[in-house]
Amino acid sequence: MPVFTRTTKNLILKIDEFFDDIDLGLLVFKEAIKAFLEKDMESFQRHLAKVDALESSADKLQRSIENEMITHSILPQHKAEVTALIDEMDEIIDALKSSLNEFNIEMPDIPTSLNKNFISLSETSVSAAEELVPAARAYFKAPYTVREKLLKVYYFESETDKISRGIKKIIFQEMKELDLAHKAHLRYIIHHVENISDLAQKAADLLSGMAIKILM
Amino acid sequence: MILFFLISGLFLGWSLGANDASNVFGSAVASRMVSFRKAAIIASIFVIVGAVIQGAGASHTLGKLGAVNAIGGSFTVALAAAVTVYVMTKFALPVSTTQAIVGAIIGWNIFTGNSTDSRTLSQIVATWVSGPILGAVFAILLYMLLKKFKRAAHIHLVRFESYIKTGLVIVGAFGAYSLGANNIANVMGVFIPAFNLHDLNIGFLSLNSNQQLFLLGGIGIAIGIITYSRKVMKTVGGSIVELSSEAALVVVLAQALVLFIFSSTSLSNMFVKIGLPPIPMVPVSSSQVIVGGVLGIGLYKGARNINFRILGEIAVGWVATPVASGLLAFVSLFFMKNIFSINVGSKTEPGINSANQIAEMMTGGAYVSGIIKYLLLGVLIFGILALIFYFLLERKKTIELQKSEEKFWMNLK
Repeated sequence: MPVFTRTTKNLILKIDEFFDDIDLGLLVFKEAIKAFLEKDMESFQRHLAKVDALESSADKLQRSIENEMITHSILPQHKAEVTALIDEMDEIIDALKSSLNEFNIEMPDIPTSLNKNFISLSETSVSAAEELVPAARAYFKAPYTVREKLLKVYYFESETDKISRGIKKIIFQEMKELDLAHKAHLRYIIHHVENISDLAQKAADLLSGMAIKILM
Repeated sequence: MILFFLISGLFLGWSLGANDASNVFGSAVASRMVSFRKAAIIASIFVIVGAVIQGAGASHTLGKLGAVNAIGGSFTVALAAAVTVYVMTKFALPVSTTQAIVGAIIGWNIFTGNSTDSRTLSQIVATWVSGPILGAVFAILLYMLLKKFKRAAHIHLVRFESYIKTGLVIVGAFGAYSLGANNIANVMGVFIPAFNLHDLNIGFLSLNSNQQLFLLGGIGIAIGIITYSRKVMKTVGGSIVELSSEAALVVVLAQALVLFIFSSTSLSNMFVKIGLPPIPMVPVSSSQVIVGGVLGIGLYKGARNINFRILGEIAVGWVATPVASGLLAFVSLFFMKNIFSINVGSKTEPGINSANQIAEMMTGGAYVSGIIKYLLLGVLIFGILALIFYFLLERKKTIELQKSEEKFWMNLK
């Protein structure tokens, strides 16, 4: 019987570990962006390697969680939603990794005057995802608190949009000295950072529905 | 010959096991929270235990309704009930074994000129109505309690579901016990007055004549569960699965409690001791109690679209099943008596039994008891082997999963 086996305990630990990886990945991402803007490439490479390791650990945990849920028939009625939520959250850490890789490979030339704006953009975008993690944890322990936690995700996502629009406006309307290719490249990099909050919002939409269903 | 006459009872037991086990484990199996193998083993064991330990109460009431005093009569009555259940199930009509057997007994009473005890009959009919209502009340109360507990305890969803899963197994076992205790009367009740077997002693276990009959009936139900209930659990059980897992647990527990209440003599005696009226020991339809429970939860959740068709079908079943079964029993008894010249029973004179009948009972008694003794040993050995086989399979599954996981990550590296 499940109560007498370690399966339940292991699965809970794995889910918690998965969320820890996402949480930590978001923190490291912020630090990596700061290091890149400060041209501290050694730190940036260290942070990139860390995010890479966290992403691979999250992938492994994701597969393991899904396997255990199927083989031991755990959460049969919520399995599809929980799997979808974990997939969505894994997308976030995947996006962190690919975004840092874009920085590493393409080495975007970000004008120093935009450093503050870029830091603000990455922090706000990451905050949306950071607020998602406690909401996802709450789904498992106190589902009736999920929706109030998700409000912050939506708030940070819309803030990210505003900041991104602001930076793009500066680049395309005020920085006449930059050529069009440079501007397009910066827009592409902004889009990558902004994508994190979009993914957080997508997961939040799913989580919100899941919370309603479980409370019914 | 004696054993041949028991076949109709065993057939009735088989159909009860095939149909009613889904009420106990249907939701758990259909939602894959409990595997069919595990459910079938647990249900089979506990149905037999419940029938042997606590089957006497409800059987006594059926005996008061009509004491079928010849084996030929018991055979025909059980067969009429079994055929009614089978045919009505085939046409997807809601049917209860309890109502079928009551109708068949009344048919026997009419055929043999015995009067039907109206007090017992009204007691039984009242329980058909109160069973689902009680099921609904229990379901609402238990559901409220469980919801409050879940909100206050802050248990991790995975852990809570694992408790529910374990709960479904325990409650299922209790449900199977109550099903055996309450519904064995339907299967073997009509054979009690016509059988008088020798007491059976196997070391730690001693079974009287009635308990031996209940054991046989219990085995019949268990065979029904193992051989045919998988399909029913996956289809009929699926309609209950629409509820959440905790609601399913509550509904099964409510059903088990109702069936237990209507078959526990000690609980009834306790009621009398504290000055309350005794609880009638009556076989109740488990399916109808389940429907009561589901409707109860629907009402609690504020569902406005209650399916009145189901309620109507149950009410129709209260009348249609006993009438159909009674008519069939009457016609079958006529054929058995006049065409096959089999003694189907006679008008009961209090305290008098024909010398022939007693001789028939006693000669067959020792023989049947001997067979039951070996059957019991066979069931025990089979049960132990099934348990060992189950644990080995579970272990193999876990090891295979671990290996495939390791292999996957090795290949990835």
